[in-house]
Amino acid sequence: MATRLRFENSCEIGVFTKLTNAYCLVANEGSESFYSIFESELADVIPVVKTSIGGTRIIGRLCIGNKKGLLLPHTTTDQELQHLRNSLPDEVVVQRINEKLSALGNCMACNDHVALTHTDLDKETEEMIADVLGVEVFRQTIAGNVLVGSYCAFSNRGGLVHPHTSIEDLDELSTLLQVPLVAGTVNRGSEVIAGGLIVNDWTAFCGSDTTATELSVIENVFKLREAQPNDVANEMRKSLIDTLA
Amino acid sequence: MQSQDKFYLLVKFQNIGFKVGSPNSEFYLSQFSTVLNLLPSHIHFSIVIYSAVIAFWRKPLEMVQYNFKKITRVPTGKDFVDIVLSRTQRQTPTVVHKGYAINHIRQFYMRKVKFTQTNFHEKLSTIIEEFPRLDDIHPFYGDLLHVLYNKDHYKLALGQINTARNLIGKISKDYVKLLKYGDSLYRCKALKVAALGRMCTVTKRIGPSLAYLEQIRQHMARLPSIDPNTRTILICGYPNVGKSSFINKITRADVDVQPYAFTTKSLFVGHTDYKYLRYQVIDTPGILDRPFEDRNIIEMCSITALAHLRAAVLFFLDISGSCGYTIAQQAALFHSIKSLFMNKTLIIVCNKTDLQSLDGISEDYKKLVADMKSEAMKTLVGQGGEPRDGAEVLLTMSTLTEDGVIAPRDQKERPPCIPQVVLEAKAKEAEKEKRKLEKDLEEENGGAGVYSASLKKHHLLENDEWKEDNMPEILDGHNVYDFVDPDILQRLEELEKEEGLLQENEEDDVEMDVDDLTPEERKALAEIRKKKSILIQEHRIKKSTAESRPIVPRKFDKDKKFTSKRMGRQLLSLGLDPSKAIERVRSKSRGRKREGLLIIRTLMVVMIWMWMIMMVRTRR
Repeated sequence: MATRLRFENSCEIGVFTKLTNAYCLVANEGSESFYSIFESELADVIPVVKTSIGGTRIIGRLCIGNKKGLLLPHTTTDQELQHLRNSLPDEVVVQRINEKLSALGNCMACNDHVALTHTDLDKETEEMIADVLGVEVFRQTIAGNVLVGSYCAFSNRGGLVHPHTSIEDLDELSTLLQVPLVAGTVNRGSEVIAGGLIVNDWTAFCGSDTTATELSVIENVFKLREAQPNDVANEMRKSLIDTLA
Repeated sequence: MQSQDKFYLLVKFQNIGFKVGSPNSEFYLSQFSTVLNLLPSHIHFSIVIYSAVIAFWRKPLEMVQYNFKKITRVPTGKDFVDIVLSRTQRQTPTVVHKGYAINHIRQFYMRKVKFTQTNFHEKLSTIIEEFPRLDDIHPFYGDLLHVLYNKDHYKLALGQINTARNLIGKISKDYVKLLKYGDSLYRCKALKVAALGRMCTVTKRIGPSLAYLEQIRQHMARLPSIDPNTRTILICGYPNVGKSSFINKITRADVDVQPYAFTTKSLFVGHTDYKYLRYQVIDTPGILDRPFEDRNIIEMCSITALAHLRAAVLFFLDISGSCGYTIAQQAALFHSIKSLFMNKTLIIVCNKTDLQSLDGISEDYKKLVADMKSEAMKTLVGQGGEPRDGAEVLLTMSTLTEDGVIAPRDQKERPPCIPQVVLEAKAKEAEKEKRKLEKDLEEENGGAGVYSASLKKHHLLENDEWKEDNMPEILDGHNVYDFVDPDILQRLEELEKEEGLLQENEEDDVEMDVDDLTPEERKALAEIRKKKSILIQEHRIKKSTAESRPIVPRKFDKDKKFTSKRMGRQLLSLGLDPSKAIERVRSKSRGRKREGLLIIRTLMVVMIWMWMIMMVRTRR
């Protein structure tokens, strides 16, 4: 089940955290209780690492990664790079890249097999992504937005994209990604999906403003609970009717 | 009519318990359309314009948040005076002369008095406005504040501030009037001093009230932010029956749990999700069964919450009696406060069933529990339900983690039979619970702001001892990380291998040489080597001595060691003609020639040009 939480009264938790199947990065200098939420959910399975990138806490927007690697912007300091290399398992390749568009998290989104990127990304960067993350790279927009990383979130099992994505776009994207996609929102109607939601193959975290409906959509599309879609709908109805009564 | 409809719709929504103003509300509306179909037709119109209504009402609806953290600090009486007077000093003109027109002088002092008064007025008004008026806020908070701070005292303090504000206004008015008749700089100044002095006296007199309000402000900022209008579960019961253990189980509130009564001294809030709905869970301090007047502040917090919050109430009943109170006593409490449960969902929770099962209690107690159950049934009537047998108003559970102490009956073992898979899952669960989180570490080591977690402690290195090693960032003016190479060891190995190979080859060569030589050749080789070593030694000596003393230019060569004659001799001994070399060594000064001058000038101009071009390039 997805966990709802907030970071210093902000529901945009995707800005301050990065979650993949092999590791979880959390902004440092935040409260320990925020870190502990991730620690209690994940630390048994994957490393949960406190870090900053380029001295900032907006790490979720600055880096991109999957289970095979982690790409960092050129603003990352040597010390942070070393800290991450030390903290992540050896299978994860940590690499700093010289890319003009340094908010990598905003400019691209990826799972373990495919990456969507900003249309203006360097050729070299594209090659680097393919090498380090071991993914196919596609230059795409989502509902006319070039910042693909901000407006979608997807794992190897499903994905959520900007609510204004047209059906044709959805079809095209899901063919590229080979996972089912749904257009939706998080955080009570926010369209900045990656800002309010971080997800991997077995768990998800979202901003505490996220409503029950949004949550159920998230759990369905990311297949976070092993249940038939019918069951979930029934359960939903039950809780809603319950409230009505 | 129209506005009433909107209002009705909104009230309906609020009762349903979701916030409006998101794309989801469309979904909700479709869900509720069946209900809305039952409403009169003119309300359909308001559904059509719902988005407008929502946009209009969204702000006020979300603004009703009870958060007292934003009240500005209340300065003490003395600070208050200092702040205001220094501001007057800084923000009004300070220079006035006897020679000025009397009107100018009067204006000058009137402005000072008025400015001071406005400042006092502003500051006091913020205090009066920012502190909540007990009659205006939600009755729950009204009563809670009354219980904690005593309404009369609170109102009196605010009233005094208000009076002070009015008094200061009056003083300023009087003195401005008097200043109009001031006939000299001295008198005007005296009047101003008197006015400011009186204002300060008034402020100093309300010092105790200000101090009291500051204390309250600090306490209020620490109150839990309970939203009285949301879905709420309220946990109540005798002290030490397991209320806090329960809230810790279902939320992340982390309330302190201790095996003695009144561990929880104030209200605590936690949040939990159940079936996609968010619930606010409130843990209350224990209540004792005694007359209302005798209850202390701690208990009154619980009573206030019970009385005013629209919530589902869980009444905790310790059926084992290990809390120190019998079921009879707990039942008596239930009956004495049952009026507070009216119109609320009530569930009686029989806790600590691991110590004592519900079936095992005596007949009298069973009857008491049944009584309470029937009372709980009655509360259903208040909510429009029917008391029926199937209603789940009685729950049994155990919030304890340790096994209860059971006296052994005989030596026979009765092992449980649980499939392996379940056990594994449970073991995992238990491990999770045991894990010491960063939050706990922080709490143990001085709390937030004091504890600082090491970033290095989770590093995955080959040797754990390396974790805390310090790595210099800059060494000898170089960034250390520029020289860090993860494959350094491998490369070193490669280099060593290469060198080894080279050395082997060399050694082979040398051996070959020595073996192949004839005795004469060997002799020659020895001579060559000897000469070479002598040369090296000489050179070394020369170098060391040259370094130890300054190099002397030729013209200061007093011993005339290096003369051209000597050079000629040396060259001759080598069989060379020295005449040309000697001529070259001698200094030559040619006479200036007219025709050469022009060429030299043009050359110089060209050189300057070239030099300028070079300078420009290097700057680029």
